[in-house]
Amino acid sequence: MHENLVTVSGGKSGSMKTTGTQTGGVQPSGGGKEHFDIVIVGGGIAGATVAKTVIEQAATRSPARHPRILILEAGRATAMSADKYDTYVQSYQQALAKVPNSPYPPTVSAPQPDVLDISRPVMGEDGTTKIPADNGYFVQMGPLPFGSDYARALGGTTLHWLGTCLRLLPNDFRMDTEYGRGVDWPITYDELKPYYERAEWDIIGVSADVGHQYYPGIGGDPAKYFKSKNTGKFPDGVYHFPMEEIPSSFLDEYLAKKSAGLVVTLKGDLGREYTFPIKISNTPVGRNSTPTPGYQPVGAVGNADQGQRCEGNSSCIPICPVQAKYNALKTLYELIVKYPDREPREGEKEKARVAVRSQCMASNVEHTQLPKKQGTVTGITYLKYSDDGSPPVRATVTADVYVLAANAIENATLLLASKAANSSGEVGRNLMDHPLLLTWGLLEDNAGAYRGPGSTSGIPAFRDGPHRSERTAFRVEIGNWGWNFPENAPYDTVHDLVGGAGTGTAQLYGRALRKRLGEILPNQFRIAWELEQDPEPTNRVTIDERYKDSLGMYRPVIHYDLSEYVRASLPWAAEASRQLFERLGIGAEVRRPEYKPGDYTHWDANDPSAVTYDGQTYWVRGAGHVVGTHRMGEDPEHSVVDGYQRSHDLPNLFIVGCGSMPTLGTSNPTLTMTALAIRTGDHIAAQLPTHTAAQPKEKKDA
Amino acid sequence: MTTTELSNRSDPIVVFTDLSVELTGYDRVELAGTGLIEQHYDTLLRLIGEREAGHLLQAAAEALDADRKNHNGEALRTRVIESKLYGPVIISLIKLWYLGSWYPLPGSYADVNGSTAGDVEHVVSAQAYREGLVWSAAGAHPMGAKAPGWGSWAEAPALPSA
Repeated sequence: MHENLVTVSGGKSGSMKTTGTQTGGVQPSGGGKEHFDIVIVGGGIAGATVAKTVIEQAATRSPARHPRILILEAGRATAMSADKYDTYVQSYQQALAKVPNSPYPPTVSAPQPDVLDISRPVMGEDGTTKIPADNGYFVQMGPLPFGSDYARALGGTTLHWLGTCLRLLPNDFRMDTEYGRGVDWPITYDELKPYYERAEWDIIGVSADVGHQYYPGIGGDPAKYFKSKNTGKFPDGVYHFPMEEIPSSFLDEYLAKKSAGLVVTLKGDLGREYTFPIKISNTPVGRNSTPTPGYQPVGAVGNADQGQRCEGNSSCIPICPVQAKYNALKTLYELIVKYPDREPREGEKEKARVAVRSQCMASNVEHTQLPKKQGTVTGITYLKYSDDGSPPVRATVTADVYVLAANAIENATLLLASKAANSSGEVGRNLMDHPLLLTWGLLEDNAGAYRGPGSTSGIPAFRDGPHRSERTAFRVEIGNWGWNFPENAPYDTVHDLVGGAGTGTAQLYGRALRKRLGEILPNQFRIAWELEQDPEPTNRVTIDERYKDSLGMYRPVIHYDLSEYVRASLPWAAEASRQLFERLGIGAEVRRPEYKPGDYTHWDANDPSAVTYDGQTYWVRGAGHVVGTHRMGEDPEHSVVDGYQRSHDLPNLFIVGCGSMPTLGTSNPTLTMTALAIRTGDHIAAQLPTHTAAQPKEKKDA
Repeated sequence: MTTTELSNRSDPIVVFTDLSVELTGYDRVELAGTGLIEQHYDTLLRLIGEREAGHLLQAAAEALDADRKNHNGEALRTRVIESKLYGPVIISLIKLWYLGSWYPLPGSYADVNGSTAGDVEHVVSAQAYREGLVWSAAGAHPMGAKAPGWGSWAEAPALPSA
């Protein structure tokens, strides 16, 4: 922690030391605090979506309202021009371990979790943590390590998401009522549907074909599931996505042909049999494709001509070189270009103003809340750091409405550190992810691996159905990048073939090596079985005085495990995979370094992600879907926010993001987070007080 | 065979190229197309030392000459690839061409020949990554570069003829 912190404004921060000289900090107006209409913590998709929605909706009010908005980003600014963005692509290409965060360097002051840091805490016989695994940013208390990461940088984790944009299924909103599991949401699919449409059209830009969405639990008719109430835009309510579907990969088509007619049969409790007809379904994605009439794809930030359509760079995770894949920089860029934070020039109409400040670490939510009572947020205190040897500068800003949009885990640690919005005791609890089981094999034929987006299709059959009352649902993602995820291919394939580790003599080289690689690499494929995790209060983010980062911020201390409900689906996913591989003609078990068609799936016990169930070991990876730390609900006793993501305790505070989701379903959560953020944005726009934020004096030293 | 090519055969970078052709299964034109012959040559000299590289290239030149006369690859195999001295370097060199990364030499090699500061696992350059031969051997393209274009992933795969 920096001892010589510089404080530039008053407020409730008097307990911190005030030393050093005031240089380059945020200059408050007239010695007071800067005031905005809205202060948003977090420059990712949720915060950007709220800002854009509020601005656009408030402008339609009568009289129009043009809010002034501040977005505080804890991490570094990234790139708002194509040439600077290219340096991140270069950084990825030069990275030794090409993990999701590899293109985006962390700062010392805003550390970020990294999948390379995942290790297993040592647990005592009584189930308590003996030695936490704290070698990374997270402090892992176990018994299992939380296996996902996120990016702390402007643009957030959309910088390295895959782009999958599946809506939740209707039953995902009523898990308790339908299956006696988890909790119901305070809103239904039908209520969220118009916001899904806006997320797909106005924020992300989604490519898909309604007719190819073969989901269970929608009455067998995708058109009905997608049917829109917006008949002005979609005549007769016949919905279509803004862009045509991304073509399915050659691998998808190969698997579809080979598995045609396959029905997977799985045995449940009490000998009950469940059947799942396998149908391969093209996946909706936030990746530019051929637009439908009236839609304009959004290209790269600062170079709109680039990224108009996916070019097949095969690196959606961790970076799309052309930005054909949506990232939140696109929305932020639109905001700062359209709504610069300055007075209107002569002849200009009044409009909203957006200021984005990176390297500003929110350190406290100032508030008046007393235990078990409602209160008001009175400011956000943040530290502006420079990482140049000078101390961070502290400032407090005030607003009419405050929004936390800093990722589920960061929202939770900030609220816990601030002792805010937690009379329910639920802040930090119900942490969820999609525990992900990988299976992989070598096909008999060249299926063209290592080409195209990371995934273009899935098998939705297991996403809903009566089995959810006894074991968790799962989504099946077909991967287009060979064994890149499970076996670090093509690297390890080359190591295997060249060999010579013990002998110092290359086993294969020259034309023989080249030919053999051509026989193996394009035949590799893998499937990810992404299990729905149920909310458990013991899976939680906490804070601990002993674990702080260099700015003195609390590091996330995480307790994490898989429930019996989740674990019971591990053998199901493994068995479904076995039946599928059998049909593909690769049922035989084979192991590297031998290469012939077969099932290469293996889960060794010495992996940090090993989970044992019923005597069998599995590897359970994280999916990067960090969900559920400030769940929404109607009852303030058992939830943190309401259906609009408004804090029950602090009514001028909205806590947005995946953390609000009460259950996870089997959809990658970003699309749902975006739909919820739009709904929140509408709500804030309708309720903004009519006065305008006090304008600060211009900075003298700016 | 022209006289110019014959006279160049003792040029170390020509030897390096001919050796690389035999090790990778890619011909001179394909390797030149990566733009990396000189960079990889420099990398080899830098990472194993100039004296050791000189010995390796000398042995390779002699073996390649013998193989040209005998129309087989026996001399290269027995005198270079299976050599205790050169074998480990050959493995790293193959991987350098295929993956664009340098993989360190084994401790037993370093015990005899010493090691350089750069002899640790690293991506040699972004270009070396992009031009890694493994991608074309797979009928693909480097992840994150040389995008084959819209919808290419739906087309039937094809391997460039070796």
